[in-house]
Amino acid sequence: MSTRPDVEVKRPPPWRDERVLRVAVQVIFLAGVAAVVWLLASNLVRNMQAQGMRTDFGFLDQTAGFTLSGTDFSSRDTIWDALLVGLRNTLVVSIWGIVLATVLGVLVGIARLSTNWLVRKCAAGYVEALRNVPLIVFLLFLYLAVLQQLPRISDAITGGGFVLSNRGLYTPWIEIAEGSGLFLAVCAAALLLAVVVGIWRTRRFDATGKPHHRVLWGLGVFLVIALVAWFILDRPVALSIPVLDERRVTGGYEMTVEHGALLFGLVLYMAAFIAEIVRGSILAVPRGQTEAANALGLSGFQRYRQVILPQAMRIAVPPTGNEYISLAKNSALGIAIAFPELLRVTRIAIGQGQPAPQLIGIMMLLYLAISLLLSLIVNIVNRRLAARGT
Amino acid sequence: MRPKRLLLPTLVVPVLVLAACTGDDEPTDAALPQETDAEAGGGETEAETTTGGTLAEVQSRGTLNCGVNDAVPGFGVVTPEGEYEGFDIEFCRVVAAAVLGDANAVEFTALTAEARFTALQAREVDVLIRNTTWTASRDGGENASFTATTFYDGQGMMVRSDDPYQSLEDMDGTSVCVLSGTTTELNLESVFVSLGLDYEPLTFEDNDTLREAFLAERCDGWTSDKSQLAGFRATWPEDEGGPDALRILDDTMSKEPLGPVTLDGDTDWYDAVQWAVFSTIQAWEFGIDSTNVQDFMDVNPEDEPEIARFLGVDGFDSGLGLDPDFAVNVLQQVGNYEEIYNRTVGTDGLGLEPGQNNLWTEGGLLYAPPYR
Repeated sequence: MSTRPDVEVKRPPPWRDERVLRVAVQVIFLAGVAAVVWLLASNLVRNMQAQGMRTDFGFLDQTAGFTLSGTDFSSRDTIWDALLVGLRNTLVVSIWGIVLATVLGVLVGIARLSTNWLVRKCAAGYVEALRNVPLIVFLLFLYLAVLQQLPRISDAITGGGFVLSNRGLYTPWIEIAEGSGLFLAVCAAALLLAVVVGIWRTRRFDATGKPHHRVLWGLGVFLVIALVAWFILDRPVALSIPVLDERRVTGGYEMTVEHGALLFGLVLYMAAFIAEIVRGSILAVPRGQTEAANALGLSGFQRYRQVILPQAMRIAVPPTGNEYISLAKNSALGIAIAFPELLRVTRIAIGQGQPAPQLIGIMMLLYLAISLLLSLIVNIVNRRLAARGT
Repeated sequence: MRPKRLLLPTLVVPVLVLAACTGDDEPTDAALPQETDAEAGGGETEAETTTGGTLAEVQSRGTLNCGVNDAVPGFGVVTPEGEYEGFDIEFCRVVAAAVLGDANAVEFTALTAEARFTALQAREVDVLIRNTTWTASRDGGENASFTATTFYDGQGMMVRSDDPYQSLEDMDGTSVCVLSGTTTELNLESVFVSLGLDYEPLTFEDNDTLREAFLAERCDGWTSDKSQLAGFRATWPEDEGGPDALRILDDTMSKEPLGPVTLDGDTDWYDAVQWAVFSTIQAWEFGIDSTNVQDFMDVNPEDEPEIARFLGVDGFDSGLGLDPDFAVNVLQQVGNYEEIYNRTVGTDGLGLEPGQNNLWTEGGLLYAPPYR
């Protein structure tokens, strides 16, 4: 700088200075976006006020008056409670859907690469059939043509603790008695301890090379503590089995056919996409890795578990994350089959005279929050996988 | 936790979607003189500016946008040929005949129960004639103005004939199908709660899916306005047992007055729609129908001053903004109330008894104010 002082002096005027211009363009663009948004928002508010429509959020505290099937929501609860029930249903379907679709997707993806001709072709047929049908069509098929064709509740199929009818699917479920918080706390502590034991086994394996059996050890620790606590605390948790009594089912876990159709529809559909991701990711692992594993004498399962899948995982995680987000968003299709998820509940509230702009705004923010949360989790997992070098 | 006063941030997103529909650029083609006056008055009177002109807007556009149902036999349904027909459809034609002089100048928009008021508020439709029940909160909260009731209805419950239910009290532990966004949905809940019955309500977006669910015996009961249930019953597929496979219980759960709806704050338009409906009732009372209206037009105004005034023979102008002979257009092109009723839901249609939908002189509730 001191060697060439005359260059510093010859700075162009601000309207031709590239650095100034760059900042200015961005400021102007942002201001433009803000102005448009403000214009539209104030236009909406003005029009709503001119038409005498309410622009506040006080309606959220009004009693709903309607009910939502398959939930404990009562007509005396508020609109806000209804939205929460809708959000809960969306989350339940999304989380279960993600877990089950992942398991099924990985299995089908591996099956597509099987050396067994029948298994390979079956998996391919499944993927192609599901991937090439619009999801809404598949959901309507599952709901109208499959689940609704189950027998009526009065002559439902029963057996093995399950009750199947066209009103709902009932499965045995864990029933937690009142005041069993202590037991749950003990279980949580046992789980923590199991993880600690697992880490200790891993460390020991790293140090000595002796087999770690960390899963067995962890499971053993958890089960022993939980069982002892269960007996000491006078069996606070029991298995509840659904019992059919004419038109009523008591006990067990109830899943309405609408809920079932949406969950199974999403799982079967998204699993087809995840299977393709898994297949592609496995194929993307260099062939030399398979050959090396074979050369070491690993069995087929060991080869997948120890060599191929860990490497395929890294490739698969980002696109699978997109599928998860897409699954959560697709749960809104429950509206077509009468399942009270977030969109459905919002529409019911609007249909009962609650203001649409506010409700749609809240709904969009909630969906945005779900998607952002999912992508945050996927990003964290992705970063951790990438950071762990081989 | 509860987002109550976060209006602007929450509105920012949906506003992008909605601003286009609720924009204030609507009445560009309405050239009413009072409109310019109101505009000069400032931005605050905007609602009046926009709404003041629906009648003029419809007349200058030359077609009526009518929000209707497309899945309720007898009231509003699309035929296999793609034509709309039904009781509500006929009243769209009545309004078009009165306002435009042409009963066929109607653009029908099929609306779901949930979307109907939003469509009205966004001015997608000029008038909503879609078996819509008149209630206080809709009158107040939805910016809706209900004109003369065209159909007096009540909520009922339909069950399968081979099921044991004889009255609502028998329906403990059942599952009931209902359309969401309706008064029926709310009535169902209050009636069953007051009877102390445990039930599972299953709400559907549209009647077609609901019908499928009822067909599959997913629900034991189907609740709706009795007239609608009668319509579904009458058109029940033969291979499912035909109409005899279904029963409508005697219980009536509510009052359901159905009629055309306009947007609040537009009295000229409201009056025009209202008097179009009244003209069909008044004609029935006078005994004028589509077949004999020509004869009545020859009456001597001195002998039958009321009929002459009603048909505009003496050039009487009510100031409603309608042609003096609007009733003639309505009667010639559509018919009087009795004809409409019989054609769609009465003897030649669903076969419903008139019940309360009869002239006040016959013990019914239909009563048109004097036309003078």
